[in-house]
Order: sequence, then structure tokens, then C-alpha cells
Amino acid sequence: MKASYLPPVSHVVPLTIVRRDRTLPFPGTVTARLNERVQAVDVIAEAETAPRHIFLDLARGLGVSAKEAPGFLVRQKGDRVEMGDTIAGPVGVARRTVRAPSDGRIVALEGSRVLFEVRGEPIVLRAGMPAIVVSSDGVQTVTLEAPAGLVQGIWGNGRQDFGVLRTLGGGPAARIQTDMLDINLRGAVLVGGMCDQPAPLHQATELNVRGVVLGSITSDLIPAALRLPYPLMITEGFGSLPMNSAAYALLTGNVGRDAAVDARPGDRYSYQRPEVIIPLPAAKQADVPDDVIPLAKGVRVRVLRAPFHGAVGFVRDLPQKAADFPSGLLARSATIEIEGLGNRLIPLANLEVIQ
Amino acid sequence: MIELPGTIDAETLLAVDVGSVHTRASLFDVVDNQYRLVATGRSLSTATTPLLDIGEGVRMALDQVQTVTGRRLLDEQDSLIMPSTSEGAGVDVFVATSSAGPRLRAILVGLTPGVSLDSGRRLAEATYLELIEEIGLSDRRKDEEQIDLILAARPDLILIVGGTDGGAHDSVLRLVEGVSLAAGLRPGSAAPRVLFAGNRQLGAEIVERFADRSSVSLAPNVRPGLEGEDLTPARNRLAEVIAEMHAAKVSGFDELRQWSGGFLMLSADAFGRVIRHLSTIYDPRRGVLGVDIGASHTTIAAAFAGDLRLTVRSDLGLGAPLPSLLRHSSMESILRWLPTDIPEEVARDYIFNKSLQPATIPMERDELHLEFALARQVMMTALNQARAGWPKDRNGGGVPWLPPMEPILAGGGVLSRAPRPGYAALALLDALQPGGISTLVLDPHGLTPALGAAAAVLPLVSVHVLESGSFVSLGTVVSPIGGGKPGRAVARIKLEREGSAPVEGEVRLGQLVVLPLGPGEVGKLTIRPQHGFDVGFGAPGKAGVMRVTGGAVGLIIDARGRPLVLPRDEGRRRELNQKWLYDIGALQ
Repeated sequence: MKASYLPPVSHVVPLTIVRRDRTLPFPGTVTARLNERVQAVDVIAEAETAPRHIFLDLARGLGVSAKEAPGFLVRQKGDRVEMGDTIAGPVGVARRTVRAPSDGRIVALEGSRVLFEVRGEPIVLRAGMPAIVVSSDGVQTVTLEAPAGLVQGIWGNGRQDFGVLRTLGGGPAARIQTDMLDINLRGAVLVGGMCDQPAPLHQATELNVRGVVLGSITSDLIPAALRLPYPLMITEGFGSLPMNSAAYALLTGNVGRDAAVDARPGDRYSYQRPEVIIPLPAAKQADVPDDVIPLAKGVRVRVLRAPFHGAVGFVRDLPQKAADFPSGLLARSATIEIEGLGNRLIPLANLEVIQ
Repeated sequence: MIELPGTIDAETLLAVDVGSVHTRASLFDVVDNQYRLVATGRSLSTATTPLLDIGEGVRMALDQVQTVTGRRLLDEQDSLIMPSTSEGAGVDVFVATSSAGPRLRAILVGLTPGVSLDSGRRLAEATYLELIEEIGLSDRRKDEEQIDLILAARPDLILIVGGTDGGAHDSVLRLVEGVSLAAGLRPGSAAPRVLFAGNRQLGAEIVERFADRSSVSLAPNVRPGLEGEDLTPARNRLAEVIAEMHAAKVSGFDELRQWSGGFLMLSADAFGRVIRHLSTIYDPRRGVLGVDIGASHTTIAAAFAGDLRLTVRSDLGLGAPLPSLLRHSSMESILRWLPTDIPEEVARDYIFNKSLQPATIPMERDELHLEFALARQVMMTALNQARAGWPKDRNGGGVPWLPPMEPILAGGGVLSRAPRPGYAALALLDALQPGGISTLVLDPHGLTPALGAAAAVLPLVSVHVLESGSFVSLGTVVSPIGGGKPGRAVARIKLEREGSAPVEGEVRLGQLVVLPLGPGEVGKLTIRPQHGFDVGFGAPGKAGVMRVTGGAVGLIIDARGRPLVLPRDEGRRRELNQKWLYDIGALQ
């Protein structure tokens, strides 16, 4: 007999083993060693960008035929060169040459043309959290592992950073205001309720914060959120939705600790999800969290949609018969005991497991 | 090419359709010498994280079918029992379709705008690809700029077309040169796949050009000769390539392919196959329209006497791509369909939340109205763009209403779970605005892709099931084309049914009238349109008599005008939307 229903799972775990891949956008060099203990700001891999390419026409540059031109090459495919270095030539009395237009690399030879890759800015990949390097492919991906608290979100603005957790106060349903953001919060990762205006988000930029974690923002703030220099993660969705009680309790319970905010948006076809990782001292009991948890009585769940969007509760019953709802829809449902609201019937499709 | 067997011994058919949100299993068996749907099962798809393996979702759906029917489908090793056993376990034939898998980004490379590039675009737009860039021979960008463009775009697939068979040679190879260089600059696993569907004689050279840079697949030329395009053979090969690319990222497809004897179809292709088949049965002077609105894609299939025009929009759907709708439509154009006052900011939040949680369903009435408003706008947008690719003499010449189509077959989660048939019917009438006389048919179980796939191995299944009660006829719709002042007389109608007194009366502009004519019931409808209104009897004002069949809604006279013009006043508009929901039986 198969599990009858596998809902999505979000992790809100006080202590677990977090294992995460850190990956360069393209191959480079992994600098971290296996079993090395790294800090959040440590560089673990680096690569060079290739912002643009240029075709160098050897025949035209040297004043020879296309057939002859390759014979005058003095560099090979893959060679790195500096600006002004000779790539082909000299030819003839005038000693004509083709030189590198900038620092870069010869990436291809195509007939009498050389494809030249202009050297770009180096990019570095940082660990993002204190951890142990547990594996690496040597060129692009490093796997880190650490005991930590973990809060997964639902959306992020694509940025990552690391700082000390601080709370904005007012509870999980408080709308953040500019006057809640004072100089004492400079450089911190801020935890708050919800935001429906851009001013507090911009005020946080002024304070150089390292991250903001909220229950929700209104969707009209998405463009502004995407331009913020710091990571912004939300746990519930868009609108005026308080942060769920489990996540808020975990985050505020760790105020004063360092936290890594990875606000890259989730991708349903990779394991990437926005999340806050709170590194904790090593613990023997911690396990890797479960990714698959069948819905069953006693399982803790969160409601994903109105009218109880964000409410956390426990499955008390799983009726076999479908129930009808005020919308007119008929759906398989579960009875959920929601904190402060009692038992409510919720469609299975609108539930996710909170571990 | 698939051989269609003339006769078959097999009786039991199991079909699985793996969608991005749900996986459906449908069991068909022979009852009274006719194939019939016996049971369906539905589960959440497991193509995405954490499992990234469609197998679990398939087995959960099959488990539901087993529970309902008592028929054992899986053995102790969880493998499909096939063929069926004398004890009544297992199935004789298995077919599978899928629309699940990550979005695939493609760059189109072709010779000439208006010729091969247009054919290539039509090929890409007929399947699960997101076309992000085009490069042509007349491209003004330098070669190196094209290389940088390809590197920056990071496509999953490069689709190359150009040249008739035995035609253009050097120009195609010159175009390919830069593309192959760019492909070679991506590291091995990130190198894009390449599909070449151009001059067939260049196949070997194209493979050689990409050598160890990219994996190249060859497809029949989309323009084999000067006389025109032929997309179907290339579409089949492209479907295989897409399936392989999905299988590289999500597990379980190989098993489905094995169960189905190596034949795993893309859902959109299977959907299109059914629509094309119907177009060969119904009146060849009219087209057949299929609309499938899913969470990740919207498919519009139109076929005209066997000529299929398939459009798949990966940027239009009621799940993850929902925010993309705002690139094509204003919030005002979405909210105009609502019968209640829902603030714009609430609707906007809803759109973004639904994109994050595509499997969720509305618990409250207002959210249901919003979901259907979004469905209307998604279908309308997809249809308007699809019509540009229809034959010029069939696309209505730019009129805002749909030219005569018979029947109109609609599927997709939002429509199939409508609380009442009237919800689905009104959404279709608003979004598609059919003109003249049509029949609306709903696919409540999502069977159409299964029937399309089954048609290759058991042609009778699709014929029998399409005629069975598994598809719900919503009813015949009469939509007079014309406009004017609300309240103006549109037509006099008379419906005669055996054993009942005739129903007769006048319909006025703005009215949505439903006459009682249940599923399977037949009646004689006499329509006398007023001057300026055309119902399809040859000219405006021309009267006629026709045989009509009923449906779950009834006989629908949509006298709201074509094009449908909604009042500018928000309050009046909401009142009318509400009234029409009551009139069509969606609300009671």
C-alpha cells in the first residue's frame, strides 16, 4: 500500500544537520580542502567571468591569405595572454602582427579567425555559514555540513548574507515601520512580521543590514525587494500574512546568534529553497531532516491558503470522504487543530508539513 | 512512424498522464463491446523536489485505481503487471503522457525571417519550450555578439532550421559556425542540446560541426521543399528530445517508457492528436478547438479538416507562470470578469501566492471567482496569440470573436473541478467568445491526452470513450454575432422537444438564456435573428432550423453580443457578471 498523500514539506527545525551545496555559476577552482572548517566569509571557490568575446581576423591583420594565416600563429588554443601580446606574426617587411586587444584567453581557432575571450572580473564563492567541507568536485561545487537551526521560507529576493539575528519586535503579525529600525540594528539580520510599504525596506538598506526575514510583503513591493542590496526572505507569501508561529518562535529564540540568510528563490526542480540557517554548537543527536513525510494523524502542518493562511496546527483526522467548502469545491480534507482556532477542515491540497 | 494495427486482442488499457502538479491514472475496459472508462486515480506529481522522481506519484495514482476497482495493477516489486492475467490482474496495454519537467529554454537559429525562422518558431511554440532568442542570417549582431548572447542566455536547447532539402548549404553552415563555437564554450554538462531540422543533406556536417561540443539530434526538415512547411515529423523528434531532457533531470520517465513499450508522448501532442482526429469527423468547413488550461502550460489546439495548429504557452498557466499573465494583461482586464468586489492589491497578491503554491485550491467563494477570472484571461490571451498561427481563411480575419468551431473541447484542473457545469461554461464563453453555433464539451477527468496516446495503439478506445459519458457535453451554444444597444431584440427562438411543449420567445442583447435540454436530449431549434445579427445560417438576419443536443447546462443562447462588451461602470459590470452566473446555473 502506497502512502496516500505526500504533501510538500517545509523545515522549521531547532537543531538539525544542514548539508548544502555551494556552486559557482561556471567552473573555476575550488580552494577549500576536504574536512576543512570554514567560516561564513571564507572563500571556498573562485572563477573568472568571461564578459565578452572578440573574433580576431588573422588574414586581414597579417595581410595574408586565409589559408596561410593559421601558419603564423604563435599562440595556441587555451593560452592566456596579456594585452599587447603577439598572437600571430610577424609577417613581411612591415612585420605585421595580430596582438591581444586586452588581457584574456584564446578559446578557439576557426579557419583564419581566433576567438578571443576578454578576461573579466574574478568572482568568489563564500561559504555563507560556518561549516565543514564534506565533499567537492574540485571545480565548481563544494558541499558543506553543519549542525544548525533551520527555517525555510517561500520566496526570496535572490541575495545571500550572514549576520547576527535581531528582532524588530511587535510579534509575528506586526507591520514593520521605519521607526522600528534604529542604529542598534546596523549590520544585523532582522526578523519581523510583515511589510506593506517600501520605506522600512529602504531604511534597512541605510542601516546596512545583512538580511531581513518576514512573514510576508505585499506583492507590489516585489520590484523594490529585488533591488535591495541585502537578502529578503518571506516565510508565508504575499499580502498581509503574519509569520507562522513555529518559525517566529525559532528565529526570535535565537536572537543574538549568527544566521546565514540564503534568499535565492526556490526552484521546484532543484533542492534550492530560501532559508535561514542558524549555526549551532556541534550536537550528537542531530539528524538530517526528512524531505518526505506522509500526511498522518499527529503530523504538524501549515495552511497554505485563505482563510487560515499561515496557521500552524496538527492533523487530528483524515476523513475518507471528500468535504465541500464555501467555494463550492469538493475536496479530500483533513481536520486540523489550529492554535487558538480549534478544529478546522482544510483541503489536503492546502496543507504542507512543518518539520 | 507508428503503425496503427487494424485489429487488436487487447482489452484493458491503463493510461497515465504526468502533469506538473497532478498525476492521473485512467483505466479503460471493454463493456458491451465498447471501451469505457472504469476508474481514475489522481495524486500529486512527484516530479519536483524532494523526490524528483515521477514514479512515486504514478504509483499513488495507480493505487487509487486499484482501491476503486479491486484490480491489482502492480506486482510485489511494484512493477506494472502486463499483460493481464487470467485472475484479472494487470492490464493489456499501457500508454503514458507527460507535461512535467523543468522549463526548457531554447534559442532558435534559422535562415530567413518569414520563412524558415517562422516555421522554426511555430515548431517551438507547439511544445514545452520557452523561446528566449532568435538568430537569423540577416541578424545585424556581429558573430561574437551572437556568441555572447548564447552564452549569456544559457539555453537548454538550440533549435536550428533553414534550407530546403538539397537547397541552401553554405549559408546554413556559416550560421551554425558561431553557434557551435558558443556551444563549445559551455562546460560539458551545461552544453545545450542541439536539434537540427533544416536541409536534410547537411545532417552529417552539422553533427561534425558540433562534434564533442554538444549532443546533436537530427529531425526531418520543417521546410523540405519550396511549397511549404511540414512540422509534424520534426515535432515528433523534438518531443523525443524534450522527453530525454526531462528524463535527464527527473527520474522515473525511463520506467514509464519501458511500460509503454518505448512510447511516451508529450501531453500536448497527445491532446493535439485527439483534436486533429475530431476535425476529420466533424464538419470540415468548421474547425475543432481544444483548450487545456494547466498549472504550468496552456495548450490551444485547433484543427481544420486534419490540419492541426498546436500552440503551447509555457508562460501562461494557473500555477508557477501566473505572474507572467501580467505581462500580457492589465489587472483591470482580469478584474473585469469578477462578480464581486475584490481589491486589485488582493488579486495581485493572490496571483503571486498561487504561483508559489500551484496545487492549492480555493476554499472561499471570492477566491473561486478570482481563480475563474484568471482562467478566463489566460485562455483569452493564449487563444488570441494562437489564432495568429491559424490558416488565414480560418482565423476569423482579426475579429475579436471566435470563428465557427465545432465542437470546443476544454480541459484542465480549474474547469474540471468547477463546482457546477455553468461555471466552466461561462468561463469558456467569456474567454473564447465563440460566434455562431458550437457545442461545449468538458473533459472532467483529464482523459484527452490519454486518448491521444492510446489512439496510436488502440484506435477504437478514443472513438468509444469520446462518445461515452466520460466527456461532459455542457450543451449547444448559440451566439449571435452582432452588437448594439443593450435590450435590443436579437432573435426569436423556438425549441421543440419530443414529449414537451415548445419553448418560444425573444432574446435581447445582453441576455444569457439557458433552455432546458438535458444530456442526450435532442431538440429542433428555430432561430430568426434580427437584422444585423448572424447565427451562421449564411448571412446576418438569415433564419434557420437546426437539430440541437442538450448538455449538463442545457441549450445556451448567448445573446450578450459579439464582441462581448462589458459595462464600464464597475458596479454594473459586477452585477451583470453575477446575473450571468445565476442565469447559466453556476450560482443558485
